[in-house]
Amino acid sequence: MIYKTFHFKTLLYLLPAVFIFLTFNVIPGLTSLVLSFFDFTGFETNLFRNFVGIDNFIKIYEDKYFWIALKNTFLFVFGAVFIQTGIALILSIFIFFGNFKFSVLVRSIIFFPCVLAPVSVGLVWKKILEQDGVLNSILGLDYSWLSSVSLVMWLIIMVNTWQWIGYNLVIYYAGLQSMNIELLEASDIDGANWSQKIFTIVIPLLWPTTILNMILNLIGGFRAFDIVYVLTRGGPAHYSEVLASYLYYYSFSAGGPNKMGVGASVAFVIFACILTIAVARIIVSKKLRKES
Amino acid sequence: MEANKTNNYGASFKRSPIFYIVTRIVVLFFIIIIIFPLLYTLSLSVRSPETVYSARYFLIPYEFSFANYIDAFVNAEQKLKVSFPRMFLNSAVVTSLSVTLIISMSIFAAFAFSHLRFPLKESLYNVMIASVAMPAQVLLIPLFYILIYLGIINTYQAVILAYAGFLIPIGILILRMFYEQIPYELTEAGTVDGASDFQLLMKVLLPLAKPAIATCVILLFLDTWNEFIYAMIFMQDPTIHTVPVGLAKIGTSRYQVNIGTYSASVMITIIPVMIIFAVFQRWFIAGMTMGALKH
Repeated sequence: MIYKTFHFKTLLYLLPAVFIFLTFNVIPGLTSLVLSFFDFTGFETNLFRNFVGIDNFIKIYEDKYFWIALKNTFLFVFGAVFIQTGIALILSIFIFFGNFKFSVLVRSIIFFPCVLAPVSVGLVWKKILEQDGVLNSILGLDYSWLSSVSLVMWLIIMVNTWQWIGYNLVIYYAGLQSMNIELLEASDIDGANWSQKIFTIVIPLLWPTTILNMILNLIGGFRAFDIVYVLTRGGPAHYSEVLASYLYYYSFSAGGPNKMGVGASVAFVIFACILTIAVARIIVSKKLRKES
Repeated sequence: MEANKTNNYGASFKRSPIFYIVTRIVVLFFIIIIIFPLLYTLSLSVRSPETVYSARYFLIPYEFSFANYIDAFVNAEQKLKVSFPRMFLNSAVVTSLSVTLIISMSIFAAFAFSHLRFPLKESLYNVMIASVAMPAQVLLIPLFYILIYLGIINTYQAVILAYAGFLIPIGILILRMFYEQIPYELTEAGTVDGASDFQLLMKVLLPLAKPAIATCVILLFLDTWNEFIYAMIFMQDPTIHTVPVGLAKIGTSRYQVNIGTYSASVMITIIPVMIIFAVFQRWFIAGMTMGALKH
């Protein structure tokens, strides 16, 4: 029978999962925040010996590459949230209403890169974008794409979009399949043309799916590391560094400064960004609920 | 078959030749964009080493050869000290054990969340939801030290436990949602018949939860098989490198391998996934779509 109050046996169901969750997720997460106020290189036995206050934060504040990494992270997130979601929206509407004979196959092809490792995807594109790569042969150019300070971040965004667009596409497709079609049929009788239908009916009806896709891409955008690591390693000269790769560079990279405390303070910044977004999201959704 | 079914959502989409042409052009463009990089890498990998820099229309090799694949296997073994089969074995061990561990614990914990009462239930659940949005890199440095203190750094257990801690909320979220969708009458009937909570979980909920468990398996499989940064930092011993870590080392090594060997190495990691995807594509797409709705 189901106990209506807390019963000791409940712990048996709960404990293994909660123990692992606390030990390998919550505790390291909180420790990471604390460690950002200490200076350590990774060779000490006691990490908490050398308290330095906010020195680590001052260090990253004064480092211009931190600001580049922060700017790049926001640029990457912007690309994922707006460009990638936008393209997926248009593509899903075209495939859904285009009456394709092989629409399942089309979706499967566009979805396929999502199941690949970002490392494999990054390496596929790396050879294409290199100076003697096929992109230059097609365009008849001799341009070193990945060494361009102004273009490199956009190329990383493009490769990321290439990999994940199918994910947003299938989510949109699920939204389209569950859409209320009576409005569309009614608009037919009123003589609406296809572009009016898309802009005045389909896109507004898909709004909840758009929000979902944007949130997924926002969370994914802050995670980006693998693609940056294999495509550029943050180069040229740290100009394509994102927060995660900047953290890696400061704490673990073989040729890096090996300052783990600074790495922890970068983790603090990532943590703060995600928390701000999460709180903002809760406030906005509460407001929307009140209004409706 | 869905492939032959055409929808009827409004005649104006069908009537308009502009819409018809625009959709064909745009969709064809995207299919080419998606396929070309993969096809190009495949093409490079099957060219003979002498003709690797030239092909008809960028794609069709003048001379087919599997020499690059043999080179790729030899190169991995000599330079990395870990062969491709060993990398696949490492990935298979890590993935299967992590997924089994996470799911077997989530099945019970999600039940406690959905059907039992305990203090701080919703607070704990909110912490789990919040942790799903946290990037893995936030935990990197402290986890590294916890694994050192536990004496399991550079072993499979290090990565398996790190994955378990990081991904367990996903399993619990999906299964809890599913358990709660199961009609109340079903569980009520069980309790009236005098079933214990354990029997209720095993005999009533679990058999119904198979699709949810399948969703979890797919999501967790992809997350753990493709994971890179934990596997790279917590298992630095070359003999236990997973596939992405080994491949990244080959691809970004300062001692450049030639482009044919490079492409063959990349294809060795892509082809098995491609085959699995071709067989289970419906499940993959449905699983990832369902997984997305948890947010």
